[in-house]
Amino acid sequence: MSTLSVNVHHVTRVEGHGNIVVDAQNGEIKECRFEVVEAPRFFEAFVRGRPYTELNHITSRICGICAVGHSTTSAMATEKAMGVKLTEQAQLLRKLNFHGETIDSHVLHTYYLVAPDFFGAGSVFPLIDINRPVVERALRIKKLSGDLCAMVGGRHTHPCALVVGGFSHTPTEDELRAMRKRLVAAREDMDASVELFASLEWPQFERETEYISLSKDDEYAFVGGKIKSTDGFEYPVEEYKQVTNEELVPFSSAKWTSHNRKSYMVGALARFNNNFDQLHPKAKDAAAAFGMEPIVTNPFMNSAAQVVEMVHCVEDAIEIIDELLARGVKPEDPTVADVKAGEGVASCDVPRGILFHHYGYDEEGYCQDANCIIPTNQNMANLNYDMQELLPQIIDKPQDEVRLTLEMLVRAYDPCISCSAHFLTVEFV
Amino acid sequence: MEWEGESSHSVVLVLGLGNPLRRDDGIGPRVIQELQQRDLPEGIEVIDGGTGGLDILRVIEGWENVLVVDAANVDGGRGEIAPGEFVRFTPDEARLGASPEGFSLHHAGLAEALALARALERPLPSIVVFGVQPSDVGWGEGLTPEVEQSLPALCEAVLKEAMQR
Repeated sequence: MSTLSVNVHHVTRVEGHGNIVVDAQNGEIKECRFEVVEAPRFFEAFVRGRPYTELNHITSRICGICAVGHSTTSAMATEKAMGVKLTEQAQLLRKLNFHGETIDSHVLHTYYLVAPDFFGAGSVFPLIDINRPVVERALRIKKLSGDLCAMVGGRHTHPCALVVGGFSHTPTEDELRAMRKRLVAAREDMDASVELFASLEWPQFERETEYISLSKDDEYAFVGGKIKSTDGFEYPVEEYKQVTNEELVPFSSAKWTSHNRKSYMVGALARFNNNFDQLHPKAKDAAAAFGMEPIVTNPFMNSAAQVVEMVHCVEDAIEIIDELLARGVKPEDPTVADVKAGEGVASCDVPRGILFHHYGYDEEGYCQDANCIIPTNQNMANLNYDMQELLPQIIDKPQDEVRLTLEMLVRAYDPCISCSAHFLTVEFV
Repeated sequence: MEWEGESSHSVVLVLGLGNPLRRDDGIGPRVIQELQQRDLPEGIEVIDGGTGGLDILRVIEGWENVLVVDAANVDGGRGEIAPGEFVRFTPDEARLGASPEGFSLHHAGLAEALALARALERPLPSIVVFGVQPSDVGWGEGLTPEVEQSLPALCEAVLKEAMQR
């Protein structure tokens, strides 16, 4: 029987700070949990009292990795509160910008944070010596996705052109054509990505759980839609609290969430499981290369689902550009908001999963109440239950292997702990 | 408004890094905001890079000269640095806090981006860093008085450097 003590402080290659705590004596597990330790961010406090035009820019600063996701969701919540309708062109540009960020985040996670585990490298730096072309390919894809975001949003990291009512700047048709060419050329890198990641030996671990994501009738949902669960539930986004049911737990500054079971999972795998049919055919081919068919219940495959989504986003971005060009792109001003008191909830499925922004405004358009529930929080309970089920299966392996496997599980969730901690909750009346 | 991509004739990029929601960490974006209020000489572009992590690499590649403004915990070699004081240095003159083993994208900033570029032997622009010693990088908006006070001198130093390029 094993006696095991694994304490990983500040798991590396995870965005932010989290600790793994394991204590097992004679095969009996006394402790097994993932703690979040970074100080709470109180970011809702930043938006209270601010005018509606500023919220999406402020919230885009919450996270440098999901800046477009926060900005888009924030603008949509404000637009709902003010009854603002976007033009079709602006809606297409929002989706295009979003695809840029999804590709950017997924390539970062799969290549720089996950791949080193499979190559026995401690980080992306030794990976350069082991397999340099892989690191260079990742940087090439990252440049493409960053340029795509910058072309639409004006800036990659914090999209200055994304405003309430649409965009303050419109890319030209020439810029879109040039980007289209680069996206077509990137198919080669997508094929190579699928080949690389499908060749890896993914850890075998299955645990059935509930998968929650957005869903749409007409497309693979990232921007807006309804909430969908693999357990058969559907809700409009306004009813998000029926799904999230946040609760405090003693050892984590992130609240836990649960819906139909004791936990649920959000992210690429949840989207894949709920919306597989709407993936682009090339992305379905990629899934086949991984041997993935919904419902996939191995959480390690979340990273594989991200690779599948990269393929989808490249293809869908090409189709969106084609649609924009076919319609004819014209510079247009953002729709002007009819400033009034109101409340708005919006949701996007950002790279790490379903995200909710909820605002209340006074009659002059100043934010009175705000709530924001991020994907990483929603995954915390599920990650912990995965760890507790995985540990007994691997407990007789060498301690270093146990430690690495648990770290890989944490990384598979692609947690962004730096923005997951917040204590403030606001009750809307 | 700064705009990526309109820079084909510019020779100097001023890049402000940091998070304006973390007090003095927002010094980089704040300098960019200040410079945007001015009539900048031709050839100088400014970008607020925020907390873009490795995206810094994409932004700086292709430029001849990049001036980076960032909050920096400056230690040793040049004596004590008080909050609000800033130092000018090139990446060769300093050991930047890149930690290859603990590579965390949450903390990825200039150091990690440059380390990656060097490891891949990618050509880099001529880089000068203006590192500003923060007093408080906790959650909150606005600079502390110490850092706010040094803002005019910092902007002048950055502009002077930019015009020499």
